[in-house]
Amino acid sequence: MPSYTLTVNSVEKTVSVDTDTPLLWVLRDKLGLTGTKYGCGKGLCGACTVQYKGNAVRSCTLTADSVLEGNITTIEGLSEGQNHPVQQAWRELDVPQCGYCQSGQIISAATLLSKNPKPTEDEINASMAGNICRCGTYTRIREAFQLAASKLDE
Amino acid sequence: MKNTLKRRNFIKLTVSASGALIAGVHLQSCMPKKPQAEVHQFSPLIKIDTDGWISLIAKNPEIGQGVKTALPMILAEELGANWNKVKVVQADYDTIYDEQWAGGSYAIILNWDLMRTAGAMVRQVLIEAASKKMNLPVEEFITKNSKVFHTKSNKTLPFEELIAEASQIPLPEEVEFKPTDSFEIVGKNIPQVDLDKLVSGGAEFAIDIKLPEMVYATVLKNPVFEGGVSSYDDEDARLVNGVIDIIELNNAAYGGRLLGPNSPNFVNGVAVIANSTWATFKAAKKLKVVWDNTGSRKENTDEIFERFHAQLSNTSIERKDGDIAKAKRSAASSFEAVYEVPFLAHATMEPMNCTVDFRTDVCEVWVPTQNPEALQEGLIKLFGLQPEQIKIHLPRIGGAFGRRYYVDYAMDAAVLSKKTGKPVKLTWTREEDIRHDWYRPGSVQKISASLDKDGMVTGWQHILANASRKTSLGREGGPAGTEIDEYDFPAGFVPNLQLEYGHVLSDVPLGQWRAVASSANAFTVHCFLDELAILNKTDPIDYFLKFIGPERMVPVVDDYEFDLKRLIHVVEKVRQNSNWDTPLPEGQGRGFAARKGAGSFIAEVVTVSADENRKIKILKVDAIVDCGIVVNPSGATAQVEGGILEGLCAALYGEITFKDGATEQSNFHDYKWMRMGEVPEIHIEFIKNELPPRGLGEPPLPPAIPALVNAIYAATGKRIRKLPIVQ
Ligand code: FES
Ligand code: FES
Repeated sequence: MPSYTLTVNSVEKTVSVDTDTPLLWVLRDKLGLTGTKYGCGKGLCGACTVQYKGNAVRSCTLTADSVLEGNITTIEGLSEGQNHPVQQAWRELDVPQCGYCQSGQIISAATLLSKNPKPTEDEINASMAGNICRCGTYTRIREAFQLAASKLDE
Repeated sequence: MKNTLKRRNFIKLTVSASGALIAGVHLQSCMPKKPQAEVHQFSPLIKIDTDGWISLIAKNPEIGQGVKTALPMILAEELGANWNKVKVVQADYDTIYDEQWAGGSYAIILNWDLMRTAGAMVRQVLIEAASKKMNLPVEEFITKNSKVFHTKSNKTLPFEELIAEASQIPLPEEVEFKPTDSFEIVGKNIPQVDLDKLVSGGAEFAIDIKLPEMVYATVLKNPVFEGGVSSYDDEDARLVNGVIDIIELNNAAYGGRLLGPNSPNFVNGVAVIANSTWATFKAAKKLKVVWDNTGSRKENTDEIFERFHAQLSNTSIERKDGDIAKAKRSAASSFEAVYEVPFLAHATMEPMNCTVDFRTDVCEVWVPTQNPEALQEGLIKLFGLQPEQIKIHLPRIGGAFGRRYYVDYAMDAAVLSKKTGKPVKLTWTREEDIRHDWYRPGSVQKISASLDKDGMVTGWQHILANASRKTSLGREGGPAGTEIDEYDFPAGFVPNLQLEYGHVLSDVPLGQWRAVASSANAFTVHCFLDELAILNKTDPIDYFLKFIGPERMVPVVDDYEFDLKRLIHVVEKVRQNSNWDTPLPEGQGRGFAARKGAGSFIAEVVTVSADENRKIKILKVDAIVDCGIVVNPSGATAQVEGGILEGLCAALYGEITFKDGATEQSNFHDYKWMRMGEVPEIHIEFIKNELPPRGLGEPPLPPAIPALVNAIYAATGKRIRKLPIVQ
């Protein structure tokens, strides 16, 4: 089995996995970073969203050998002390229901705000379109965006 | 409010080795209708530590409905605990906790009095201990912030300093609940207990469990219901790196329909065991299985619905009031409509999975289930175990919506752990999850009304034909089940009424889906009422109010009556909040529906716009909810938001179809779910009152469907009688 060195949350990790192993399963089964979730395995639901080189990507559709060049940020490494403005806003508004989709939602939201600190509603809708919340926390996510944006402003 | 206890011995105080005061309970013994056995064993519910921290047990499974926060809040309230120094501990499955399941919107309904009683009992004991210590009368004390407080002198004693005295005090025979207007925790927006973990990836779901020496598993099941495995070639699958074994799962070998037609069941298939989840998924794709489908009906959706239609004229009568034939003869006019409701999958965000360690004679399980009791029963029957040999942990669950009443996936995992002699984590792919669900039954429904000269209903006949979830996996000899019940609305409201059921047998596994039969029947009944209003050229809310009549108690069946005052109140309020009487611009419309469900009353108005191409956009939903006391407004609002969105989404897109006996959909590309951009504004208001809290998980969902369909009619003049809306 080939071995790969990935940078996950700014730490280098070497894993031996088959070339076609999706990043999702490297994170979950090999590195024990289970905050990133499996929902569909086909890039359809967003539960597995992580940042790669600062972009939100679906870790279920990227193989281990295609993410060797930059940092991979998972929910566990999004911020020091879990205090990213998006996480703060999520807490203040008690956003999650079952919570299973939330890591993906938070990573998608944080990525958009890092590129566009004042997104319009259309921009939010477009960049969150890949994240399903089966429980229906969407209205709170929308509110949390406003709150997080205002925190970034301060 | 005083409550004399019939079963004082359901609770017991002890002091642990570390000096903590533990209130153990035996909740089973205080449930009515249960044999009142002598109680010897107790399980902890409240623990007061010497450092002042209080641990409260969350007894029911947390599926995202918020009970892990809400039930301990009730305990803490009556106890007078400082919520900031409360740790909530999830209980394992334990029959002593009783009714330890999630479903039917029952958690708060069944536990409100119990949690209050337990909390109040411990509070009274602590007060008595303080009164003894300070030599002052008990009446002068209250509890607050985990302290006993002497109201006259402002002197306080923290709970932890009363442990020794309290443990010596006999439990009271009568408890007095706190007056609801003195509540300090119940009724407040309390953030859910796992919040920090949920926003940082640290909440552990069953799918995240990792045990030493654990192997991974997945299953490839015969996509055809009631099909079997004829043979399989696993040569390529075994070549996948990490594959350890390939094991056939054979229904008959494991007891077949082990627990009856509506219980845990095995679908025949082949399992892959490997050293990673990915290896199992990859190898499962390389299995070449020859399926044996001789036992299958090989059903197709069209043909199933044809049978439903045909069965409309071959029914049993579930309720009969007055004489509908007579009402018809004397009617000024009549009206009828036929509706079609599709099958639906649950598609919980966390796919079916279960981890089992069955290496010894103890079967230890980590399972996302709403129904641990069914799993225990299944394991007992399958492996001949004693209850003590089964340990079921209940981690947080990534959505359930009724799917996790059925424990088929957990039974598979137990079989695989037993066979491999290893701890096994079984994870279904999303494809298996969608194809092997216990679907919300589709149905065909015909409603006919006889009308007087004012267009009001004098006779009502509702016929529902389908395959019933109560006879799921349709073989003869199962229990006779119907999808229309004698208490279904508008039973009790129309003098001449007949509810009928046409039963069709099908192989499709059918089960509970959020709001169960109401998820379908609310659509037909409340759209039909809207049609009658339009026919009568009356405003739909005016028509509904006239239809239900003035404020009164409407008896529906024994111990089920309808307080119309509460229903009318939410209807009038939603009319106001939604600006119902203000005209909308061209191309927009509002639709309305109001129901009682799980003891709560909900009225909803949906506002939509539709462009020239009849492309529909849902603009806004207004909802008024009367569920009695709102235990945790934050969680309660979330339930209403989620229920409404689930209803809207199902109405727009939800449809499972079958071809040659198998489900055609497999993942989120063909089983569509609502995305952010489609989500309307939602405005929710709760009616404030002091009535005991009722259910909220299910009731918000059903009215959203007819309210949306009625809004589309108002906007476009197009009447939809077949769901989903987007075909
Ligand atoms: S699991 Fe990757 S998008 Fe669904
Ligand atoms: S919170 Fe349950 S899927 Fe989003």
